[in-house]
Amino acid sequence: MNRIVFMSKKTVELFILFFLILTVLFFLFRLAPGDPVTRMVDPMLTPEDAAHIIEQMGLDKPLITQYMIYVKNFFTGNLGFSFHYGEPVVQVIMARLPCTLLLFTTSTLLAALAGVFLGKISAWKKGSRLDGVLSISALVCHTLFVPWFALMMLWVLGFQVGWFPLGGIISPELWIEESSFLVKALDVLHHMLLPLLTLFIIHVGSYLLLMRSSMLSVLKEDYILTARAKGLTDRVIRNRHAAKNAALPVVTSVGLSLAFSINGGALTEQIFTWPGIGRELIFAVSNNDYPLAQGCFLLIAAVVLSANLIVDLLYAWLDPRIHY
Amino acid sequence: MSHKVGFINRFSSSWKIFIQNPLGKAGLIILALFALMAFASFWVHLLGPMYDPMTGVDPAISRSVGPSTSHWLGTDFIGRDIFCQLMEGAKIAFIVGLASAFISIVIGTIVGMVSGYAGGIVDILLMRMADMVMVLPSLVILLIVAALFGQLNIWMIVFLIAILRWPAVARVIRSQTLSLKHRPFIEASRVAGASNMRIIFKHIMPNVLPLAFLYMTFRVTSAILVEASLSFLGFGDPGQISWGMMLQWVWSSGHMFQAPYWLLPPGICISLLTLSFYMVGRAMDEVLDPRLRKEGK
Repeated sequence: MNRIVFMSKKTVELFILFFLILTVLFFLFRLAPGDPVTRMVDPMLTPEDAAHIIEQMGLDKPLITQYMIYVKNFFTGNLGFSFHYGEPVVQVIMARLPCTLLLFTTSTLLAALAGVFLGKISAWKKGSRLDGVLSISALVCHTLFVPWFALMMLWVLGFQVGWFPLGGIISPELWIEESSFLVKALDVLHHMLLPLLTLFIIHVGSYLLLMRSSMLSVLKEDYILTARAKGLTDRVIRNRHAAKNAALPVVTSVGLSLAFSINGGALTEQIFTWPGIGRELIFAVSNNDYPLAQGCFLLIAAVVLSANLIVDLLYAWLDPRIHY
Repeated sequence: MSHKVGFINRFSSSWKIFIQNPLGKAGLIILALFALMAFASFWVHLLGPMYDPMTGVDPAISRSVGPSTSHWLGTDFIGRDIFCQLMEGAKIAFIVGLASAFISIVIGTIVGMVSGYAGGIVDILLMRMADMVMVLPSLVILLIVAALFGQLNIWMIVFLIAILRWPAVARVIRSQTLSLKHRPFIEASRVAGASNMRIIFKHIMPNVLPLAFLYMTFRVTSAILVEASLSFLGFGDPGQISWGMMLQWVWSSGHMFQAPYWLLPPGICISLLTLSFYMVGRAMDEVLDPRLRKEGK
């Protein structure tokens, strides 16, 4: 029962926040210099044509009516038409979403798993040379400047060594000549490896550091002493008793560091010309494609919020000490 | 008087612990080198107009060439000196990092103290707000603002980064305030009739400030990275040269694979500067939290 109350409370909170973001965005667009009319309507048009378009877009209605229409349109899945593509924004975004999700979830999961594993070892061997090397490298990874690091990866592994393609997600010739599914999948994987490796290295450091400090505090707990006194082997204490509990804060941090990962993800997509949401947002912003920029932004906000909800629920489920 | 001596003693003993930490020492040395670079940028104009990082073009070159005796790190695509740009970039990085970190710890400290001290509905509302701001990806927000308002100037960027990055500070300060709230000296001053404002700013603030400064070093790191990323994407302040913008020029002018002398320095500088702030922060962490110091080795 409590669990249901907790879950619905979290969900309601999330909706309120999303609604707030939606509203702030609406008013930001109206606050921006130059009214929406001149921005969205081509100045080359005759005044009559312009007036007609303004009426068609509903820009002559009072602000509050415009807001109602905006909210209604959003919840019916109508985000307007992209200026650049001339297609519905939803359609453009939905075509990009799988690419982002593929790159993003794979890199986050791999980085979290590797970070937890390495952090566990680092904490277990605290003060050793291995710990020193791991902690310092994690620190360096954590403070790397994403675009520069991505450029270096591209320059060294893509250009100098030539192991990986320089960008994109597929080689067009494979898709024209109707290759088999396996060939296509391998081609996508080949294109994905470099951005994946970049994101992995950028994120693994923070997970490692977090797991290490969490593990160190768990190792001081009484129940670890009890486990030792019982004569359990090091391996069992490390993996079963300590690491399981120490990994909990890492779960929360996946949610909290998501904002940070989204920034890194957008930059990585941009540099490796990976056709995802982040790159689309940057493209829309550079080309003054307001409906598209707004759509990308709202989608990113929705993804961040729902991921945080999932993490909250997961945490409550994993840690029996949490009271709802 | 004795109060002052106590402060100096405390400071010098903290300093000893700090400087014994290899991370802190290395971080401080790198930081000092960058500070020197930033200061040197004020005297670049003495070298003559050719070395102006923004407008100075070497008439004999006017394209990108590698390092030489007259241009230590070479020139960019229109013949501007890369080393001079690097110094100018150091100045901008310090301004952006320190100013925005300062604003965010001021906001975070005040929110955290008020929230922790007041409790109740004020606490709940402020912390909910912190949670909300915390999950927003700052670069994406800055991008959307840049899309709406056109080119942002450097102070606008500093301010936006600051108001997106206070929640972490507020949370830490709040928990510290909660632990201070029921200490005898706070109770005593309340009994003596001190107002809430006075208790917060006179008695609680001095005790949370060290923690706030520790968090400032981490905020500096993230502010520098966000500004550099924004500039790299081409939405920085066009009137200022930042390291991110230098990378943007390498990339957009198509010199990425031809000019390593131009690609390497800005990136190395950004990474080193943020790393050194981070290392100083970690070392300060050990000064403030003795539990971290004693264990190990």
